[in-house]
Amino acid sequence: MHQGRQILETAPDDLSKLISRVAMRDRAAFDALYRATSAKLFGVCLRVLKDRGEAEDALQDVYVKIWNRADRFAVTDSSPISWLVAIARNHAIDLLRARRPVDDIEEAGEIAEPSPGPERNALAASEARRIDRCLEELDPPRADAVRGAYMNGESYEELAKRHGVPLNTMRTWLRRSLIKLRECLQR
Amino acid sequence: MTSEPEEQENMPEGDDLVAAEYVLGVLAHQERLAAGRRIETEKAFAVHVTRWQKHFDCFSDDYQPVEPPAALKSDIDRRLFGEARQLQTPSLWSSLGFWRGIAAASLLLAAVAAGREFIPFPRQSSGPMVASLEAAGSPYKTMAVFDPRTDMLRLKMMEGEMPADHSLEIWLIADNGEPVSLGLMKRDGPTEMPVKPAMAARMRDGVRLSITAEPMGGSPTGKATGPVMASGVVRTI
Repeated sequence: MHQGRQILETAPDDLSKLISRVAMRDRAAFDALYRATSAKLFGVCLRVLKDRGEAEDALQDVYVKIWNRADRFAVTDSSPISWLVAIARNHAIDLLRARRPVDDIEEAGEIAEPSPGPERNALAASEARRIDRCLEELDPPRADAVRGAYMNGESYEELAKRHGVPLNTMRTWLRRSLIKLRECLQR
Repeated sequence: MTSEPEEQENMPEGDDLVAAEYVLGVLAHQERLAAGRRIETEKAFAVHVTRWQKHFDCFSDDYQPVEPPAALKSDIDRRLFGEARQLQTPSLWSSLGFWRGIAAASLLLAAVAAGREFIPFPRQSSGPMVASLEAAGSPYKTMAVFDPRTDMLRLKMMEGEMPADHSLEIWLIADNGEPVSLGLMKRDGPTEMPVKPAMAARMRDGVRLSITAEPMGGSPTGKATGPVMASGVVRTI
């Protein structure tokens, strides 16, 4: 949790400033950004890839991407940590999909889903309540599928095996869940 | 959860759902690659993805931090900065002769156009300084020429058009990494501006100039707030 505190102590404004300076090829800012965020992003890579060596390689790729794409940050309206986590998460999922024809579902099932972190900040909390409230309107197994897919990077194939249904049925369920979710989120 | 056959037959369709599937991460490899390409090329699809991502962003709080191995950062630095030095290949844009020609022509043109006299370059020292400003993924390519004898900075946009709804602001990146504003790019034609003595003293080989997109009229805070549109290191030629 030490690293969690470190992220909290680095205010979003400061992270934004660091990313802007990285865009200007400021290596000291890159070092500081790495110190403030690498534990969080490594946590993302590990959770999705579930393999330490692969997560380490992925984290390297992620910071190379951050260095090369920092100038894109300012044209998004994401919070800095959301932007960084999205880069890490998308890259980890890309690697996972490239690697795996589904073989070992048990492995994925073993990863416990931690309860919402205490580090959740106030800004995210209102949005969190909204999506949590909307997920509550779904059948619990379907809400779990949505949340599990997001957090663990599970594919349709894995979800279908776990729920014991054909892939297209899984896809239909999930898409219907997403439509309900969308309706709720737009309310 | 039962699998009624009609569920399969009535699978909902639409780009917005593909975007949500991309954000969730459930797509198979090839589908995911295809969706990733669409984000880069289809604005409407990218907007769907961004909206879904924002909805799910708060889940990211639940990823627990794990300290990576200490050696990892130096591997990253080696990849980024070790390779970068080897990969530098001279191009026309970076060639010294090109810049000498441009700088001379630019000063001459400016002198003629403005009907003003320019002191010729001193032969022995403090020759003109130039920088080529660009950024990966940015349409802007700008050349900057600084004459230390007159403390005049000239910038000309070689590629890209002035944005209609933003000002382009020029920054000198000071030793502490803080950008200091030098002024705004003119909306039409080359920009020519006197650099204050305090800033001119910092204009030397190796410092960085950057251009950011700021609200009309320039950054309201005096600090760079917008995206970096172009950036480059100043060289004496």
